[in-house]
Amino acid sequence: MKRKIYWNMCLVALFSMVVGTLITTWLLCQDLQEQMRRDVAAEVRYLEAAVELSGQEYLDQLSSQGDGGSINRITWISPDGQVLYDSFADRESLENHRNRPEIVDALKTGRGESVRLSDTLAEQTYYYASRLEDGTAIRVASTTSSGLAAMFHTIPLMIGMAVVIFGVTMMLADIQTKRIVEPINELDPDALQAEHVYDELSPLVRRLEKQKETIKEQMVTLREKQEEFAAITENMQEGFIVVDSKADVISYNSSAVRILGVDLSLDDEAGGNGAVNVIRLNRSSSFRQVVDEALAGQRSQQNLDINGRHYQIIANPVVEAWDKRGAVVVILDVTEQQNREELRREFTANVSHELKTPLTSISGYAEIMKSGLVQPEDMGRFSEKIYVEAQRLITLVGDIIRLSQLDEGKAETQKSAIDLYRAASIVVDRIKDVAQKAKVSIDIEGQPTVVQGAEQILEEMIFNLCDNAIKYNKPNGQVHVKVSVENGHPVLKVADTGIGIPAEDKERIFERFYRVDKSHSKQIGGTGLGLSIVKHGAIYHQAQVEMESKLGAGTTIKIIF
Amino acid sequence: MRNRFDEQLELLNVELIRMGALCEDAISYASRTLMGAGDFSEEVYRTDREIDQKERDIENLCMRLLQQQQPVARDLRQVSSALKMISDMERIGDQASDIAEICGFVKDFTEVMESRLQIRDMAEATMKMVSGSIDSFVKKDLQIAKDVILYDDVVDSLFGKVKQELIDILGQEQMDEEKSEFCIDMLMVAKYFERIGDHATNIAEWVEYSITGFHQEAN
Repeated sequence: MKRKIYWNMCLVALFSMVVGTLITTWLLCQDLQEQMRRDVAAEVRYLEAAVELSGQEYLDQLSSQGDGGSINRITWISPDGQVLYDSFADRESLENHRNRPEIVDALKTGRGESVRLSDTLAEQTYYYASRLEDGTAIRVASTTSSGLAAMFHTIPLMIGMAVVIFGVTMMLADIQTKRIVEPINELDPDALQAEHVYDELSPLVRRLEKQKETIKEQMVTLREKQEEFAAITENMQEGFIVVDSKADVISYNSSAVRILGVDLSLDDEAGGNGAVNVIRLNRSSSFRQVVDEALAGQRSQQNLDINGRHYQIIANPVVEAWDKRGAVVVILDVTEQQNREELRREFTANVSHELKTPLTSISGYAEIMKSGLVQPEDMGRFSEKIYVEAQRLITLVGDIIRLSQLDEGKAETQKSAIDLYRAASIVVDRIKDVAQKAKVSIDIEGQPTVVQGAEQILEEMIFNLCDNAIKYNKPNGQVHVKVSVENGHPVLKVADTGIGIPAEDKERIFERFYRVDKSHSKQIGGTGLGLSIVKHGAIYHQAQVEMESKLGAGTTIKIIF
Repeated sequence: MRNRFDEQLELLNVELIRMGALCEDAISYASRTLMGAGDFSEEVYRTDREIDQKERDIENLCMRLLQQQQPVARDLRQVSSALKMISDMERIGDQASDIAEICGFVKDFTEVMESRLQIRDMAEATMKMVSGSIDSFVKKDLQIAKDVILYDDVVDSLFGKVKQELIDILGQEQMDEEKSEFCIDMLMVAKYFERIGDHATNIAEWVEYSITGFHQEAN
């Protein structure tokens, strides 16, 4: 803008200077020539009079006086064109002047004039001739520089002026542009006021104001949307990644970063212009395949193991326009699910196995009896075996039913106030015979403590705990049952002096059918479901189960209601 | 112009990571085949072919970059080390398919599984090295690269152990021809793993060079 103003000013100045000079020069030339003509004409008239009076003598006298101070050339010409006198040149050397236009006119009409340019065009000569009474003609010639030459003379002046004009213009343009531009530059987009700038700019300012409002509104909406989106994705447990057609990451949530275990901010530097290709996050073949397929327009799903956890990756193609493609990748943690599935598979296998063992025995004994190979005196023993195995089956099935009832959460109808101490005493009384057989002493201490619960489940839990404490005890061991109140919570504690539980099995003993010592399970008996029932019973009563155990020294299990 | 160059350089990086990932896949398939987890030799061959194709693609890309952009300093180092890395990666792919090929001849894998052969450790160690070298490239992490270079000694010593074990087996009296052949095959597999380890070391060295401008071997 500054340059434009500057050049405009320069051009205008230059143009006016050139045109002005030309016109002035031309007018001056005209004036000067007019003046010269009048002077020449006057001189001719004087000479006319003088020559009429004294003829040749006057002219001789004139020349002897140095042409009488005239700078003009004076020529006297006879009627036949012969030069009689010339003030500049020797008359002998001059040619005949009869054909000169001014002489022709003068001899014919009494007056004659003409203008002739010199060969170089630099000078022009004005001739004025007049006829005397005797038929001769007197002529005066005045030489001046031509109009063109006059103009050439002005060129150095013009250049000098142009330089000055350029300098001044530059200065003025600088000041002027600054003055014009300053208010525009100082326009504060945050505080636009139409009246503070040029009138010509106020429509623009108003438009800017309107646009500013729109932008502000849009920004607010956008930010809200973005925050909403971020809040949704950030609170997702699942990893979430959006990629564009080149598989560069557009958006991701912190779960994705956590699951994939990468630092995206670090990759920003490495990747240059901020684009991080999704392959930098994970380059395993299943991940690559999922992303590639989604970008090719197909929904895709794969499993991926990272740091010992199982994930399911689902990628969906996103198609906005035919050239705008992308994909949304969701990473689900399916570790729990897979573990549960594994547990279920194990449970099914265990149940089948546990059910099959007594059935095989029963079937075996029955087969022998059917074939009639059994002596009548052995019949009792065989029946006894079948009875024991059948009882075991019934217990087992009963336990499974109880467990699945607890699982479903529909065991026992209503909870009621139950004295924990009384329930424990009943169980201890019932189990005393078993304890005696195992040479284990069992005692109970405590006072009546009331809990909200289902009596049958509670008794079963206590029974299972005591049963285990006796079964996994040493000869002459002890089982100590205590009911107390700790920190306002009723607590049932069953402590034994038994074989204890190895540290690596502590996590698993509440699993169904899990046994620490698998080889002796048959001898010890039981279904392997006892502690499972305790755990589920505790869940039903919203109680906590705590276990402390030392291998070879005993186990203490606490149920805190 | 600069932007376009950055874009191409990023493309080069991504392609290199992809090629590295393919190498990891190839070794993983090969060692799974070796461990008797199933016959993945077809997958190994397929991956090897993909690796070869990737090598040509990346080579083209590098040449284009060199001709059209004439990179200097760090950028030039990146391109030139990429050119070196892809030949190492290509060799890793070849050796993985060699291992898979040998596994095709060895019928009874229970020997590998049950004997105390340390070849399983070796397979795991080399896989770790290859993953590490690619990781160091992805993260531009000098420390990982250095760890990989140092880890090569572990693989080398494992190779020595495997060799000793095989010598012990061959020295037993009741050797039949089949068992000897198995031992020789295993020796070759071990050698291939050892070579893969060397290539992984090379890759890590080139990663180091592209970051620091300083190459261990050259200086």
